[in-house]
Amino acid sequence: MVHVYNCHPFTSQQIVQVEQEPGLVCCGGGALIVVATGGCKVEAYSLEEEGCPLICRFATMGAVRKIQHSKIGDYLVTIEEKNSAIYLRAYTNWRCQAEEKARIGVRLLGHLLRGASAWGGVQTEIIEIPLSDHPVAVACCSVTGDLLVGCENTLVLFTLKRQNEENLNPNQQNPLSFWSSAQQSCSPVAGQTSSSCQKDSFLDFERSVILHLSKMTPKQVALCGGFVAVQAELEVLVLKLEVTSEPTMQESSDAHPSGDYLEDQSDFLLIPRHQELLGNRAEDCDVVVGVENTGLEDGRRYTRTYVLFRRFSPEFFQGCSVEEMQLHSLQLYPLFTSNQSPLLDEPACVFCFFSLPNAGYLYSLRGGVELLSTYQYPEKVQEAVLTDHLLHVITKSALQSFTVRCAAVAARIEDPYIDTTIKACPPSSLETCALRMQLFIGLRSICVYGRHVVLFSAADSEAPEETERHTQRRGLTRRWIITSPKETRTAGHGWNLYVVDMVSPLTLYQEMAEYSQNYAENNPQSQSLRHLLSEAHLLVRTALLQTSKRHQDSTGDPDEKMATLTEKQELEEVFRQNCSQLGDSFSRGSPKDCHLALPYYRMSGLSVTDVMSRNRPLPGSPHSYGPGFLFYLKHYLFEETDETLSTETADEVIDIFSQSEPSLLVTVCASPCMKNVNPARTLQILQCLEDTAGVSVSLTITMATMMLHLGNLPQYTELMERHAEMLLVYGFIEEPRLLLHDGGGGGKKEQVCTTALARQLANSQPGLLVAAMVALHENSKVQLEQADFIFKELSCDNSLQVDFWEAMLMASSQDAVIQELLFRLASVYIDRLTNTISNTTSKQKSLKSAEDLISSCSHFGALHPWLTVLNPAQMSSSQHQEALHKLQALLCGPSLSVGTVVPLLERLSEETTWGFSLHLLCATRREQYDWSIEKLLDRCPQAIIAYANHHLQDKHMALWWTKLLPELCDRTRAAADGSILLSVLNGRRCVFFIQAHLKGHYGSLTAKTCIEIINVFFIHSPAVPWSCRTSPGIFTVIACFSVKSQKKRDARVEQAASSRSGIARSICYP
Amino acid sequence: MAAKKSTLKVILLGDGGVGKSSLMNRYVTNKFDAHLFHTIGVEFLNKELTVDGYKVTLQIWDTAGQERFRSLRTPFYRGSDCCLLTFSVDDSQSFLNLSNWKKEFIYYADIKEPEKFPFVVLGNKVDVAERQVSSEEAREWCQENGDYPYYETSAKDATNVAVAFEEAVHRVLAMDDKTDYLISTDTVRLHRKPRSATTCCS
Repeated sequence: MVHVYNCHPFTSQQIVQVEQEPGLVCCGGGALIVVATGGCKVEAYSLEEEGCPLICRFATMGAVRKIQHSKIGDYLVTIEEKNSAIYLRAYTNWRCQAEEKARIGVRLLGHLLRGASAWGGVQTEIIEIPLSDHPVAVACCSVTGDLLVGCENTLVLFTLKRQNEENLNPNQQNPLSFWSSAQQSCSPVAGQTSSSCQKDSFLDFERSVILHLSKMTPKQVALCGGFVAVQAELEVLVLKLEVTSEPTMQESSDAHPSGDYLEDQSDFLLIPRHQELLGNRAEDCDVVVGVENTGLEDGRRYTRTYVLFRRFSPEFFQGCSVEEMQLHSLQLYPLFTSNQSPLLDEPACVFCFFSLPNAGYLYSLRGGVELLSTYQYPEKVQEAVLTDHLLHVITKSALQSFTVRCAAVAARIEDPYIDTTIKACPPSSLETCALRMQLFIGLRSICVYGRHVVLFSAADSEAPEETERHTQRRGLTRRWIITSPKETRTAGHGWNLYVVDMVSPLTLYQEMAEYSQNYAENNPQSQSLRHLLSEAHLLVRTALLQTSKRHQDSTGDPDEKMATLTEKQELEEVFRQNCSQLGDSFSRGSPKDCHLALPYYRMSGLSVTDVMSRNRPLPGSPHSYGPGFLFYLKHYLFEETDETLSTETADEVIDIFSQSEPSLLVTVCASPCMKNVNPARTLQILQCLEDTAGVSVSLTITMATMMLHLGNLPQYTELMERHAEMLLVYGFIEEPRLLLHDGGGGGKKEQVCTTALARQLANSQPGLLVAAMVALHENSKVQLEQADFIFKELSCDNSLQVDFWEAMLMASSQDAVIQELLFRLASVYIDRLTNTISNTTSKQKSLKSAEDLISSCSHFGALHPWLTVLNPAQMSSSQHQEALHKLQALLCGPSLSVGTVVPLLERLSEETTWGFSLHLLCATRREQYDWSIEKLLDRCPQAIIAYANHHLQDKHMALWWTKLLPELCDRTRAAADGSILLSVLNGRRCVFFIQAHLKGHYGSLTAKTCIEIINVFFIHSPAVPWSCRTSPGIFTVIACFSVKSQKKRDARVEQAASSRSGIARSICYP
Repeated sequence: MAAKKSTLKVILLGDGGVGKSSLMNRYVTNKFDAHLFHTIGVEFLNKELTVDGYKVTLQIWDTAGQERFRSLRTPFYRGSDCCLLTFSVDDSQSFLNLSNWKKEFIYYADIKEPEKFPFVVLGNKVDVAERQVSSEEAREWCQENGDYPYYETSAKDATNVAVAFEEAVHRVLAMDDKTDYLISTDTVRLHRKPRSATTCCS
């Protein structure tokens, strides 16, 4: 089914004063070009001036069979016939033929004499383009001005060369780029009728590439930005030509796996099957295309890829005879997005259109080939022209204008936010419709330039009464103004050339909007309303694309710029209007597409208050709020933070949700937009919700928040105490916005701010707040930086923040976060230890003590036993003590990376024993045992055995023998009063160690050390009671093992041992 | 109005400086400029006229006579309906070269039956006092080469210019009468009445 809206896209018609009956008609460059029947005379009329005055007239060399105008280069190209021979010619500077008496230069392609043509001033020139095949069809690229010629079995591409007077040799700064040649050689002359003759450059063409087609006889061709389309009777093939600098590799496409298509087809050779092959799959078609590079430039070669193949089988249609079933109106159509420059960029979109008598097909070629629209014509169509806004087709008796979806494709390429919750655009698959069917008699051909539709009609002169009736009908048509005063001419001959002007897109939009108003009043839910609004939307989008393009093009002229700007503003205004109407349509519509209300309302620029007032149900109407509206409102409340609602609006929002979706009330209340909501009123509604839906934690918190707003602290406290802290934490996870809001304004996600509730908690229940933030972080509802920011905001010092970090360490399992937190905490503790001046009384007590952390958090290790020897019983303050213990615990723990905190520790002096203990811990963690042993013996020898017992284990055990014991002995001997050292050496733990581990480590003990130990013992402590009983045994063992280990007796050891004990010898040498 | 072959291509050949461009200008615009530039390559002008009741467009092709422009002009000989071989009566060499011009034309225009092709010979610059080529010499050459019509012209004072071009047209039309082909006119089709206004209502 085809919608027919009967809008009025046409405003007026003029009849062009043509003397001889037109044979061919085409337009371009602001001109209407008419070839008289017989084909030897061309007349050009200005389409941009009232009455379409004659621009110039000239004779062609032969009878013109085909004619095309190129926007770029402003040349005409013809296929001509003379004495049964077919010629291809390009006419440049044709506007110079104003008096028809000027000489016309003729030259062959490529035969451009330096400056030759300039001698006699600018002159019309004909470029004769020799071809080996008969040309059948021509097409000019509207982007580059290149020329494509379709011959019987080949397609020949001629690239346009513009050669300037001062720069005659083609300059190819960048031979690799297809587009650079387009830039330098071409510039659009659209609409420049006067200045075109003044150009001091000469056009020429280079035969660049020949495509050899098998099994296809071109009837029409098209060319646009590297895309080449060719149409046979029932087939269309689209290729993409690309320029490469490298020599073409052997076409790999020959090797591609031939699909089922070919095999299938082989069974049906006689009657070609209907086929549609998109993208790469088009390679599977049976048309083989060979590329023959003929360009003169070295290294610049063309390669081709298949883009689209479509074949129709003759029996596929009904209502048309098989002979009539032929494709026509092949077109490639570029569309530039508003951020593109047509001079520099390839068009963002390229569309391909072709038509059968009963149906037209529009494909989008870029970004994945797809069929956009199929146009089902109500009657047999003779010719069709695709434009930005509409597809115009002619039947024998009517001009019909269908909507197109090109803008929907372009919009999506231009703006990636379309099809998200931010922006929307009607889908490119939206069903097309006919906006207008305008009756004409005997239409033969159509062409379009800008807003001018040119129609050639040749009516039957023997049926004059029909003409008359038809004229009357037109006269009755609304908004249809016939401006031609020469209506009588119609009767004079059986043909006419009409220029029908289109209304501006704004006017057409207004009409569609008016139209939609009717629909909206009668049936706001109808699909037709939405369809019409969508059509209007695309219309305005297209117009916006065009104006921004014009704005770019209009260099210099301030008036033109201004006019474009005004037009743009007007269009943007109606665009917003249309978006609000589409928003309305979706907000009330079915649940299926209701989510589209959101982006359309957003694009409309309406405030939420406006949107709410548009969606208020009429009093007494059974309709409640539409799903689309609720969706919009939810998103608005959840995401938008720019606009804080007034109390009335906020209260209305509460009402809307309590009526439509009470379960969302908590979330709604938590939205930052709802700051101004009336707390008492809301509390009542929440109370009702609790009564009906039961108690929930987040609901209770919300109610408590309202109480807080009311300033009722006792009630607030009572509500908060209804649930255990753990449950409250779950409540916050469920609705984080009870505690924090995204910072408004610039959309900076890092910026967050706290709610009144969070501020209250910081004072009354800091533990809960910290637990909640940890939970939010672990559930990815808040980032570490955001939480830091919040805690910084909440407390004047960093105590809460530190509490948070400590709590985070206990909960987090993310390695990066843990390392970061460990570092931060270490530096905080160091700060606290160094910062002796700060007023300690103002500091809140930490939520967790060092013991708490050690016992509950794996990153805090138990303090090493030797630390108790070093740690003072009492420090200057409990805070200091706490900080010291926590820092020590961190250093004792497994996770802190010591390297990172060493620079920080340098701030701490080693003078105090606690300071020393930290440095020692660091050194120990870094396994600097030698240094540690020495330092410890220097500072606190009584801790050495505890230290050694703890750290010199396993692979470090050798240090006992190689470092600790020798060092001890040395120092004991050297010390004036070695009693402390000796007591260490004689301590139970030391001796025990020696006894227990000697066996395994005798190898480490040197003879010298043995003797030292023995001597030290007997010199300094001969009377120690245990030595009588135990020592001899030990020394014997020492001596014995030491000797064994060296495989020889050491007399000195023996002597030392025996002189001290007679028993030794007997044990030693049994 | 059904027309005979509506465009006639007449080509002017001859040595550089014999006055081809001046002849064309005199005929089409009725002006004379003694200081015309050399023609480069090929140029043409159209002139509409009625001959023997036929309305025809005479397409006069002016060529560069100098040897160095040979490659630019020869491709356009093809399709000519008549060739005007031009020399200057004050330049005997230009007269002697007529045979070469004729040969070049026949070769590049790919004339199948040269003996039937209409040539017209023009002796230009008769206004100049010192002639080097006499009328008799010229007529004799025309007689021997195929009985071509000969006109003594002066582009400067317009002597015989129109007559010469009209003779060319006559010659072509006379040829056409033999081959007699007409441009087929488009037949005007009868149209059915437009369908009732179901598809378009106002």
